[in-house]
Amino acid sequence: MEFAATVAILTCTYSLLAAGVVILYKAGRVVNFAHGELAIVGGYVFYTSSLMTDASSPWLAVLGAVIFSVVMGGSIYLGMMRRVIGEPFYVPILLTIGIAIVLKSAIIVIWRANHVTIDIGVAPALRLAGGATLSYMDIASVVLTIAFFVTLYLFLSRTRTGVQFRGTAENPLLASQRGVNVNFVLSLAWVIATFAATLSGVLYGGRAFLSTESVTIGLAGLTAALVGGLDSLRGAVVGGFVVALAQYLTVRLIDPVLSEALPFLILLVMMTIRPWGLFGTVEELDRV
Amino acid sequence: MSMNLLEVRQLEVVYHRVATAIQGVSLDVPEGSLVALIGTNGAGKTTTLRAISGFLPSEDAEITDGEIVYRKKRVNGRMPDYLARNGIILVPERDKVFATLSVRENLEFAARGKGPITEERVLSYFPRLSERSHQLAGYLSGGEKQMLAIGMALLCRPELLLIDELSLGLAPIAVKDLMERLHRINKELKLTILLVEQNAHAALAIADYAYVMEGGSIVFYGPAAELRSHPDIQEFYLGGAEQGAAKSYREIKQYRRKRRWWG
Amino acid sequence: MSRTPTNLRISYLEANEVLPRPYQKVAVALLLVAAVVLPAGSSTFFVHLMNLCFLASIGALGLAILTGYCGQISLGHAAFLAIGGFTTVILSTSLHLPFAAVLAAAALIGAFIGLLVGLPSLRFRGVYLAISTLAMHYSIIFLATTYQAKFGPSATAGISIDDPSIGFLTLSDDRIWYYFLLLLLVVVTAGCINLVRTRPGRAWMAIRDRDIAAEALGVDLTRYKLLAFMVSATLASISGCLMAYYSNVVTVEKYTLDLAVTYVAMIVVGGMGSIMGALMGAIFITLLPFGIDALFDFLPRSWRFGSTLFGVQVGAVGLCIILFLLFEPKGLAEVWRRIEVYFDRWPFRYRPLERARR
Repeated sequence: MEFAATVAILTCTYSLLAAGVVILYKAGRVVNFAHGELAIVGGYVFYTSSLMTDASSPWLAVLGAVIFSVVMGGSIYLGMMRRVIGEPFYVPILLTIGIAIVLKSAIIVIWRANHVTIDIGVAPALRLAGGATLSYMDIASVVLTIAFFVTLYLFLSRTRTGVQFRGTAENPLLASQRGVNVNFVLSLAWVIATFAATLSGVLYGGRAFLSTESVTIGLAGLTAALVGGLDSLRGAVVGGFVVALAQYLTVRLIDPVLSEALPFLILLVMMTIRPWGLFGTVEELDRV
Repeated sequence: MSMNLLEVRQLEVVYHRVATAIQGVSLDVPEGSLVALIGTNGAGKTTTLRAISGFLPSEDAEITDGEIVYRKKRVNGRMPDYLARNGIILVPERDKVFATLSVRENLEFAARGKGPITEERVLSYFPRLSERSHQLAGYLSGGEKQMLAIGMALLCRPELLLIDELSLGLAPIAVKDLMERLHRINKELKLTILLVEQNAHAALAIADYAYVMEGGSIVFYGPAAELRSHPDIQEFYLGGAEQGAAKSYREIKQYRRKRRWWG
Repeated sequence: MSRTPTNLRISYLEANEVLPRPYQKVAVALLLVAAVVLPAGSSTFFVHLMNLCFLASIGALGLAILTGYCGQISLGHAAFLAIGGFTTVILSTSLHLPFAAVLAAAALIGAFIGLLVGLPSLRFRGVYLAISTLAMHYSIIFLATTYQAKFGPSATAGISIDDPSIGFLTLSDDRIWYYFLLLLLVVVTAGCINLVRTRPGRAWMAIRDRDIAAEALGVDLTRYKLLAFMVSATLASISGCLMAYYSNVVTVEKYTLDLAVTYVAMIVVGGMGSIMGALMGAIFITLLPFGIDALFDFLPRSWRFGSTLFGVQVGAVGLCIILFLLFEPKGLAEVWRRIEVYFDRWPFRYRPLERARR
């Protein structure tokens, strides 16, 4: 049972990261190499805002996380990504790499890279069969993740804004000609992706800890996104599960040290046998 | 004489701050008419459309002189989505549909609330689209893509429809079909259309008024009927006579005079 | 010959000239003379800084060719440096081979690994290629970590290496290193310039701009893409080997992804498709942390403690990447070109067109 709980929460963490990567890829053909850093910084912001509110109600912390998502995600897009829209493909990649470094340095400078654990509502724990314990936080995390994905799916496939998202991703010029405010759509993509990353960072901070080393979850998230397919949200969920499961099994059955390196092993395998992922579209490979 | 929906006066556009693409271009598009802008490759027709629809900055070009007046208001340099929201809708030459969305989703993309033209109306003009409703737009044939592109444009509540090179890459019979539908749209929906075309014959067949561009300026204009029968236009753009009876250049007296002895 | 502007060439012959204008020849000569006499009048610390710049430049040139000229984005440069470092370790401490042999071996092994790492480039482009190189980076680092854990004194401490010797000369003193590295850098730079202005360079630029069109014109993509990777890896491996000898220690911790990004920053800041840019970028980024350190002298003392200085140094590299990409995408080389053009056109100034009334 503990197996299920741990894997479930790890899946949530990685799936959320992967979802953020997929959203940004769908919206702007951008692979965000700063996603891990965004997650951890978001986690730190959540932690800091929770400190300010006495930990009795998590709502202010949530508000802090939302504000962070809007401000950070919006400014990354409006301040940086928007300016390089027409340029060769490597420019956004390098830009996100630069952002990753700046975010990492922010962790060092602002939070002194202290190891930080997020614990809200750990106390009332649920005892389950098999001796596993689940805190309310764990349950809330899983529920939130599911809610996030369901909302996102409905939004993208059923609403007009969702269709606009996908169209804008493919051809911003044409979208603009048909009256869509491209800047709004793409900013929204970044805000949603940052929010997913923050949520993931909070989850990770609750289970493990936040520090400059934890930014490596970005690699796991990227791997999960690739496994599922860079342009598939359902792939993000599946990919997250695959990576989470593989990591858990490696820690338990093979060698804990190897689990750090596992994401890139999976990456190697995927790139060799099926680079467009389980649910991705093949044409995407050439579109880059 | 109906009001001019669009007036372009002495327009000058420069690319990359060094190359003048069009100069002194003036044209009027009366409300409800179908105006054709014809000319050969590189004459500046697409540039004119881009200037009107606000898409010059994306090509590193700018309006350096002249005015574009829409509904009596000056709209130089406005953002494209502002112009789109005010009824100036461009159907571009390339990338005119969203290839990764289905036909239905393409149409859905464009529709903003209930406009005067409904989706059913659009599909009535282009019944082929309803047959292919769930197919990805990228897999449509050239003619079908054109239809979808025009359909999308119609759903954007256009008041002035700008169409760039409708006939490019299409078989003559498809061109004829498309032109007829366009003509019907113009007459039945009372939609003002500015049509840029290299295929002068097809364009003049349905237009009310036409402008001829060459080398960045307007060199000729008048009612379409007049142009159709004008000998110069016939020679330069219509193959010398009615389409299908093109003469060899040797038979045209003027060319004989231009034969060069030095190669 | 008519007075052609600095950046425009009017014949193939002229285009192939490395330094067409007289003032450029003079400038380079002066630069070399200054470089040779520099150590005489500078502190050891400054000479050490210059050595670091030279070492970085060799690696940066490799990346400039791969990413700047051939357009293959690579995040695996740190892995190639590690190859150089660990080859040095294995060959010099275990097998006790002489310096020259180790250097040659590092170059060859680097070329071979470059070939392997370059294979994905035949299948992927763009982002997917970047991700492949990322995977390659982690693989190589994993192997290096395992080696260090098994054969090193401990998993985290480095493996030490003695000073190398060439014939009678032992490279121990910073000043001796300076001349050796300067000579090597000049040779390598000349080699790169020649590579780039002849067929490989043209093939690479064609691949960078539009590889499908290049292929249609008969450019053998396989050959040239792999060649680019090989050259890049060789140079990085040489750089890594020399760095190992220079600092007398090799530890896998140094070869992080951040190091690879630092090299990427060098060519972004310097200018992507330019040899001079690579050198300028290498010097800029290498000296940057020291510059920030000097800057902190003007700030309150307390800021030095804790990790603020380190954090700012880390962040500065990222900030440079961002700022240059946004505002000066062609890098320092472009800035230099603009200065050249300004003086070339003086007193005439190019006036941009008057904007129409909005």
